[in-house]
Amino acid sequence: MSDLDRAIAQLRACRLIPETQVRELCYKARELLIEEGNVVSVDAPVTICGDIHGQFHDLMELFRVGGDVPDTNYLFMGDFVDRGFYSLESFLLLLCLKVRYPDRITLIRGNHESRQITTVYGFYDECIRKYGSANVWRHCCEVFDYLALGALVLGASSELEPTGPALNDTTQSTMPIDSGELETEVLNSKGEVTYSSYRPRQGVPSDVSTDARNISPPRDISSTTGQTPLRSGPPGTGASGEGAGSYSSRTGAVLCVHGGLSPLIDTVDKIRLIDRKQEVPHEGAMCDLLWSDPDEIDGWGLSPRGAGFLFGGDIVKQFNYRNDLSLIARAHQLVMEGYKEMFDGGIVTVWSAPNYCYRCGNVASILELGEDTSNGGTVTRSNGDYERSNGIMTTDKFGVRSPGRRYRVFEAAAQDTRGMPAKKPVADYFL
Amino acid sequence: MMSASQIPNLNTLRRGGGRARFRGRGGADGSLSKSNDRAVQGTDNDASVSRLSAVALGYLQDPFADTVVASGLESRRLPIINRGTYVRTTAIDHLVTQFLSQEPQTKKQIISLGAGTDTRAFRLFASQSPPNLVYHEIDFAVNTAAKVKLIRSTPLLQRALGIERPEDATISDAGDALYTGVYHIHPLDLRSLKRASATSDAAHADSRVHLRGVDTTFPTLLISECCLVYLSPSEAGEVVGYFSETLFGAGDGDAKRSSTGTPLGLILYEPIRPDDAFGRTMVSNLAARGIHLQTLHQYASLAAQQKRLREQGFSGGQAAADVDFIWERWVSDEEKERVSGLEMLDEMEEWKLLAQHYCVAWGWREGSAGAFTGWRGIQGQIVD
Repeated sequence: MSDLDRAIAQLRACRLIPETQVRELCYKARELLIEEGNVVSVDAPVTICGDIHGQFHDLMELFRVGGDVPDTNYLFMGDFVDRGFYSLESFLLLLCLKVRYPDRITLIRGNHESRQITTVYGFYDECIRKYGSANVWRHCCEVFDYLALGALVLGASSELEPTGPALNDTTQSTMPIDSGELETEVLNSKGEVTYSSYRPRQGVPSDVSTDARNISPPRDISSTTGQTPLRSGPPGTGASGEGAGSYSSRTGAVLCVHGGLSPLIDTVDKIRLIDRKQEVPHEGAMCDLLWSDPDEIDGWGLSPRGAGFLFGGDIVKQFNYRNDLSLIARAHQLVMEGYKEMFDGGIVTVWSAPNYCYRCGNVASILELGEDTSNGGTVTRSNGDYERSNGIMTTDKFGVRSPGRRYRVFEAAAQDTRGMPAKKPVADYFL
Repeated sequence: MMSASQIPNLNTLRRGGGRARFRGRGGADGSLSKSNDRAVQGTDNDASVSRLSAVALGYLQDPFADTVVASGLESRRLPIINRGTYVRTTAIDHLVTQFLSQEPQTKKQIISLGAGTDTRAFRLFASQSPPNLVYHEIDFAVNTAAKVKLIRSTPLLQRALGIERPEDATISDAGDALYTGVYHIHPLDLRSLKRASATSDAAHADSRVHLRGVDTTFPTLLISECCLVYLSPSEAGEVVGYFSETLFGAGDGDAKRSSTGTPLGLILYEPIRPDDAFGRTMVSNLAARGIHLQTLHQYASLAAQQKRLREQGFSGGQAAADVDFIWERWVSDEEKERVSGLEMLDEMEEWKLLAQHYCVAWGWREGSAGAFTGWRGIQGQIVD
């Protein structure tokens, strides 16, 4: 077992590695990242993840739900650190995995991967507390400066594969999914299905089957494949939902950024021109990509965050059309339902920190984009706006094709049953 | 190499046990364990640490904030916590100011329930034009003793209260009560304050004796800054009834006549909305710490808070607003810009979520005077 594999094993157990090893790891990571462009090209299939924020045990839950590295190809859209109590363990594990499997995991920068923000939101203090000095914080910040600003997912399918990619499940179904186009299953932390919905392809209404139920024993998901042929994940696999955006290019790529768009950026190529190897500036294109939010407005608006901008559906539509994108995937905003598509599925927010700050009570999600093996399949899909429809999908309103999307929704790790720390994190309230 | 069990829990080490001031509960409740009592003591300190954080960063001005925080316990809070501390404090300040500025020649009275480490009295008496005011604080003896001790050892606080010579203040033998002409600290379990029934004159007399220096003719403002919420609904109702009927009413226990008693207002600051995902998590997180917000489900919404005030005799008017609304609507654009500029607040969604789960509610009855006229113009949230 190499030192790196040992470090991975140690970090997976939520145990820190020595400072000298962190330094070496960060050096290797920088060497790798410096070779990456500002916009990394990633081939589907890939699983896209949003904010982690130091919630290490929920990151483990994410891997349980989405499959392990390197079996699953992952793309993390930043905000690995701050707020949670295990930013170091979370970030160092992801970094180890990046160095160990550089082609199976992509890390892009979030607005919290910044010296200024980490001194306010906890990562700096965590480094001091756990290592006794700011050295490790400095090493990590140097890595932050080299993280890519975005990623472009190519070759994503317009149809969903029968199962999520890289799920090493012996019961995996080979049943094609063409009988249904969007499915959501929500599992609680014990692996029990607490909610399931299924919506058939347009024009096949007889396939409708929607139910909400409790299934026991937990994790026996394969038993439901008769009704829900999409789901045949491995034991313990979390919830899944599948959707597809309905406007934008049907064959286009998926742009992943932490925050959103910038008024200074009208093409993906302009992102490539940024000199990214620096602290996140307070303004400008690089800042906007990490800080902006979509909003129900026309054009651009001022952001209440004090950095970045708000941008409306017209901006997204133009940008996607101009850049032949089917979707912009971004993170950055807490979404109680784990994910939220906006602007007819032209953009999605993916949030991967369940019960954020151990207080917010939200679920989390990851987005799986399948590989295009369908020769440009023509299944018509509508967006899977979980919030609006509460998971029970309505009929397709738009009728334009775009990559199939499978959202897996998951809850916070059940700390008391999973060898979690004895001291439960205590959330802050104003009492 | 650290093992998992050695990894420090940053939360408990650095951030204490949350923000709970946890006033209004304490050792008197036999159902609370000793360890819960200690948690209560620890959390009392925490609110003062939050206040000091907000003061140190420029959110609030309070020259007394650092006197109530033991040295070495200072800690910078997260931006959303600082903003919440700011909104809560300035909102109550605004209501207090509007109360004091009406008929300034009339002597007024404030009674702060479960006052803990609060510095509002010091700020008011040290202001450039000190109001014509008597200020009472009620808390458990263990809390009041600590405050009395602090005042005895802090010249800055003595000056604020106008204590120049030993005879300017009377301190109880137990060291848990302090009386000056204008400022009174009462060691008292709030649950001993009950509405006197019409026939129990003895109980009535007994209960009044607890609150030395209270003048039942002064227009009076009651403040419960996250205090009554820890009592059971009936206990909380009894406390309010004690003031509105027994002490400041006609004194015969007739609720109908309470509206004709002394001008009386009540400000409540409490969590609300326990039934959504955030609220459920809040209830269960606090329960895991042994903290039970007993009236939360009873007064779960702004509408329920208004109804409560109406039913408890504050017939002059009742209004409520959540902290998110107060930040958006009470704080001027200029002030918002100033506060937003103090720290970058990244977590907008979390801020809204958090701020929508706390409210300020206020109600009053005028009597014959106009002490609460200033409250008529304060914008409440339209209840849906």
